[in-house]
Amino acid sequence: MTDQNPIDRAATEPSAASAGLRVLIVDDHSIFRSGLRAELEADITVLGEAATVDEAIARVIDLQPRVVLLDVHLPGGHGGGGAEVIREAAPRAPNTLFLALSVSDAADDVVSVIRAGARGYITKSASGAEVSEAARRVSEGDAVFSPRLAGFVLDAFGAVAGETAETTEELDRLSARETEVMRLIARGYSYKEVASTLFIAAKTVETHVSAVLRKLQLSSRHELTAWALERKLL
Amino acid sequence: MTRPRLRLVGGVCAGFAEHTGVPLSTVRLVTVLLSFCGGFGALLYAWLWVTVPSGAAAVDPLPKSSLARSPVASPASAEPVQAAAALPGSDATNGRSGFARADGDSARAAPVTEILLGLALLAAGSALVASRLGADIPLAVVVPAIVVLAGTALAWRQFADIRSGAAQQSSALLVRILGALVLVAVGILLFFVTGTNPNAWTVILAAASVLLGVAVVTAPWLLRLWSDLADERAARAREAERADIAAHLHDSVLQTLALIQQKAGPHSDAARLARAQERELREWLFTGSRAAGAEPATDLAAALRRIAGEIEADFAVHFEVVTVGAGVGVRSAASTDSSSMDAPESLVAAAREAMLNAARHAGGAVSVYLETGARGIELSVTDRGPGFRLDQIPEDRLGVRESILGRMRRAGGTAAVRPGPGGAGTEILLTLPAATAPVTDEHHTETSVR
Repeated sequence: MTDQNPIDRAATEPSAASAGLRVLIVDDHSIFRSGLRAELEADITVLGEAATVDEAIARVIDLQPRVVLLDVHLPGGHGGGGAEVIREAAPRAPNTLFLALSVSDAADDVVSVIRAGARGYITKSASGAEVSEAARRVSEGDAVFSPRLAGFVLDAFGAVAGETAETTEELDRLSARETEVMRLIARGYSYKEVASTLFIAAKTVETHVSAVLRKLQLSSRHELTAWALERKLL
Repeated sequence: MTRPRLRLVGGVCAGFAEHTGVPLSTVRLVTVLLSFCGGFGALLYAWLWVTVPSGAAAVDPLPKSSLARSPVASPASAEPVQAAAALPGSDATNGRSGFARADGDSARAAPVTEILLGLALLAAGSALVASRLGADIPLAVVVPAIVVLAGTALAWRQFADIRSGAAQQSSALLVRILGALVLVAVGILLFFVTGTNPNAWTVILAAASVLLGVAVVTAPWLLRLWSDLADERAARAREAERADIAAHLHDSVLQTLALIQQKAGPHSDAARLARAQERELREWLFTGSRAAGAEPATDLAAALRRIAGEIEADFAVHFEVVTVGAGVGVRSAASTDSSSMDAPESLVAAAREAMLNAARHAGGAVSVYLETGARGIELSVTDRGPGFRLDQIPEDRLGVRESILGRMRRAGGTAAVRPGPGGAGTEILLTLPAATAPVTDEHHTETSVR
């Protein structure tokens, strides 16, 4: 790292902050870890790898990476998988953000890691470029939603049934704009494409997505708490 | 030792013969002879019948007309019973009357009660007949024996009820079981109390007898309970093992398949094969864990996934199918019930055509989004290909014009073809309003269009 003052530069030049993006890969399959390591773009530095819950917690605290690429299903610990890693490690690594990677599409898997604090969720079929982009986005404080997660959010918040939030404070429902954004992401649109389709700024799309992520984490909506309870998160 | 399925009475003799290698006829003869030695053979037979498990699932024996017999133990009716008892097949008649009970699930438990009651009856009958003939009958032995048999029979029935989970008040059931057990105990005690003048030895013997009696009553039940428990444990172990395998496959094999797809690129054969395998495995894992549920074939979302799988097998394309909203079925074209929420088959056909179009002309990653809500059904197919405009398509190309637009129009919905997000690729949007009375598609035009 040749940066003299990384924090200042990160504030003024977001692209520079991602230039030295430090990530940790947590997955119990060495094939996948090495595959992902090779696939990630050049500007992403892989600090290390971890294969179990305990190892991951230790590494996160030890290395303080910016982004952790975290598998949802992990052996070890108390059987809590990726969600347990986030809950245990996040308090002692305040600048670390978590991006969940999984082969699973199951709703309770998604809910468990997101509610534990992950900033995004993408499936493992994503290409190296997509994972790199997602990691970069997360490192800049944005939320990352895969089409599937967007579809799941629309379902869980009853957006399809026509429920819309009246105020921005309401946590249990999506606003009309958030619903539109989620719908387009579920259709496979990128943030940029969502922005141009809705005639809004790309930054606004990111704001909406972050707001939805916050609702996903904090809402006490029945559909979410039911899954969370199942995973003993509450 | 097990009792064969093909049996004359209880299959005890056949089972014993098979187990020991002694000829069947010899075993039967010995059993009959033993039955004359104070009924020992018959009791042994009954005991083995109860305790020895059946070789296979209990199958109803050949239906035999039951010998209707009154259980009234009057001296008059006891005589023919005695006559029947004298025959070699004495316990057979008892057994048949048991089978005649129209008991649905417990074909094996039912006759036991009947047999024991029958034996009690037999004992009473033979005692009376013998006393008439002038023989010195030890009533002090016979009466308790009858009580014991009746008690065992009652107890057996209660246990059978418990095991079959009959809807009964458990407290009432418990009282009756205790009553039956007490009956057994009292019967055994009577042997000694009404017998010779009691001393320490007879008391000890009586106590031992009581314990033995209780054991005799409960042993078969405990044995069954034990084997039930073992069965359940085995089933649970199997289930756990299956879940383990599923989890392992999910984590390792699916990951590897995902990796192959990633490495090989979306257009290669390897990726196509890996994707097909992944889809198959996912389907297996998914349907395995979810035993009950709606028929997947008639669900719109499932139909789309199946189509995606079929097209992926033939083209270098990857469909990301996202479905949102309540599950919607697929109504067959023949159905005229337009009031239901079900999607008409023509929507599925139009979606298939749109997906095929995207696979053929664009390939790569294609998004399929289905939303079912109060407004109706909305389905979009978005690709990142070169894109095309409707007015650029020659008139003779019927794929899009007829199979998608025409079909949707006839179904009462709309279809729009427009450039994809950011002006790249193509997006085909199919909509079907909720309250619609679609014109039934004519099938012959459909096929000619294709």
